[in-house]
Amino acid sequence: MTRRYWNINLEEMLEAGVHFGHGTRKWNPKMAPYISAKRKGIHITNLTRTARFLSEACDLVFDAASRGKQFLIVGTKNKVADSVARAAIKARCHCVNKKWLGGMLTNWSTTETRLHKFRDLRMEQKTGRLNRLPKRDAAVVKRQLSRLQTYLGGIKYMTGLPDIVIIVDQHEEYTALRECITLGIPTICLIDTNCDPDLADISIPANDDAISSIRLILNKLVFAICEGRSSYIRNP
Amino acid sequence: MASFAQQFRGLKCPPLNDNKFSTSKKNQNHYPPSLPKKTSVISAAAVAIANAQTRERMRLKEMFEEAYERCRTDPMEGVAFTVEDFYAALDKYDFNSELGTKVKGTVFYTDANGALVDINAKSSAYLSLREASIHSIKHVEEAGIVPGLREEFVIVGENEADDSLNVSLRSIQYDLAWERCRQLQAEDVVVKGKIVGANKGGVVAMVEGLRGFVPFSQISMLIRRLSRGLVNLFQKSTAEELLEKELPLKFVEVDEEQSRLVLSNRKAMADSQAQLGIGSVVIGTVQSLKPYGAFIDIGGINGLLHVSQISHDRVSDIATVLQPGDTLKVMILSHDRERGRVSLSTKKLEPTPGDMIRNPKLVFEKAEEMAQTFRQRIAQAEAMARADILRFQPESGLTLSSEGILGPLTSDLPADGLDLSDIPPAED
Repeated sequence: MTRRYWNINLEEMLEAGVHFGHGTRKWNPKMAPYISAKRKGIHITNLTRTARFLSEACDLVFDAASRGKQFLIVGTKNKVADSVARAAIKARCHCVNKKWLGGMLTNWSTTETRLHKFRDLRMEQKTGRLNRLPKRDAAVVKRQLSRLQTYLGGIKYMTGLPDIVIIVDQHEEYTALRECITLGIPTICLIDTNCDPDLADISIPANDDAISSIRLILNKLVFAICEGRSSYIRNP
Repeated sequence: MASFAQQFRGLKCPPLNDNKFSTSKKNQNHYPPSLPKKTSVISAAAVAIANAQTRERMRLKEMFEEAYERCRTDPMEGVAFTVEDFYAALDKYDFNSELGTKVKGTVFYTDANGALVDINAKSSAYLSLREASIHSIKHVEEAGIVPGLREEFVIVGENEADDSLNVSLRSIQYDLAWERCRQLQAEDVVVKGKIVGANKGGVVAMVEGLRGFVPFSQISMLIRRLSRGLVNLFQKSTAEELLEKELPLKFVEVDEEQSRLVLSNRKAMADSQAQLGIGSVVIGTVQSLKPYGAFIDIGGINGLLHVSQISHDRVSDIATVLQPGDTLKVMILSHDRERGRVSLSTKKLEPTPGDMIRNPKLVFEKAEEMAQTFRQRIAQAEAMARADILRFQPESGLTLSSEGILGPLTSDLPADGLDLSDIPPAED
């Protein structure tokens, strides 16, 4: 596996507020090795650990992308929804930024059926068949289409289970994380001071509340994915 | 292939779950967690149905484990900075989250009820619709809040549920607005204010986003009264008509601590009509009566009609001649611009002395003619007086300009308007 230098800058991370944790009362004692200090009632995560894990994650992701693996980014908080969507578009991987439907991965066959239906509806819309339906039916179909677009829009090109899943907030996406564990899919997760670091495979201790810190970490990972993809294209 | 996967999935899930639970109970104090067991179960199941996909996934999983182990054993590899650097730099990026602190932030998301602002803190801050601007708006976009806007906000509160802060732009805007009002008052500028409400005693006008009070006495009703054919109107009804109108206003009192903002319309009108000519006839309304005369409101300025100037005949009781609310034509005698005081007279407008008392209507009609005559007589008297001065003191350095105005050799225009009250009226 190739080890590269990812430009993980201390100044950048501090400015984005990656080092802030949740309040002291709300911590998870398992996070003790990653917490460095306590300030004004909030825990401060140790950025050296963060940087280490982040660089490892980037390496892994780069490697996987250079072998043509599929990624899935999960982030459903409405604050981060459009950052996740943008990151996924940039890295050309799948994303779930609205509600994570239970069983999306474990009940893959049903999800696949829905995806087929979504694809067919889109085809119909493109060919203009919807205009020939009576108005009420057309409205019903359009409503279905918009629902499918919001929930499955990010994964509409997914053909099988993803190879690596990146999760943005462990508390919010607990179901997603559990599904990946049952299926044995490797996960990379952003951990805050009130989360469990043992659940995910690579847990990056960082601030999951501030949009700039999430953006920073996602950018690094997306950059790694893009690099890996480009090397994959060059020599498949 | 699909059925394969289904079968396989059916096999995999139950054993894995049981295993996970049992091992997690056993290995609660064990750090790292139960990884070897998990892989063995997977490998057991995988051996039964050798699936290329699963093998791939297992390989990936192993890579991840290795990476994790590496992280634990060698924590400093690949990291550009040390722990000491981190601690040293930590102080620089400390965040002060007390109420009332100003922070710079960037807006990154707007919705119907507010906007999310990214400040360098634990979590992003929320700017609600009410706090976005002094004026009442329906959507944050009207106040100019779009994603990407970088501005100063002030912290006004904290959300307990998710550690986010509430920020506001309103307080800053209030301070700015009061500051602006103070400056405008110092410069004595006329501003336009929209009337938004009325109450007992006056109306409320919006100026610079602040609500100011304009007492009835400070509103010049002249225009309205003229348009209604000089009928005396009750104060309240005019207030309702004034709603949604824009009036020129000037600041009378700006006090931020007591939140008092008092404006005046008549002061503003006084300014705009400061060029009232001496000797011109204007229509005015009697505002109030005093023992020494009556206050007449002409175009926003209060002029004094002294009792001696009402008529040639002696007027013993003003109330017999004038009543508050009466409209009459008066002539301007003098104009003190700094104090906004005007001296008026109706005496000059009487065709025959004593007319004001006996026959005010006649005075009214003949007012213009009388004023004309008066002006001519004054001009004549002036010319005579000037010629006299020149004759007797030719070396006094004064000269007669083309308009017949006496003045020093060097300047063109007179310093101020002429004060005619000193000149005795010419008798026929």
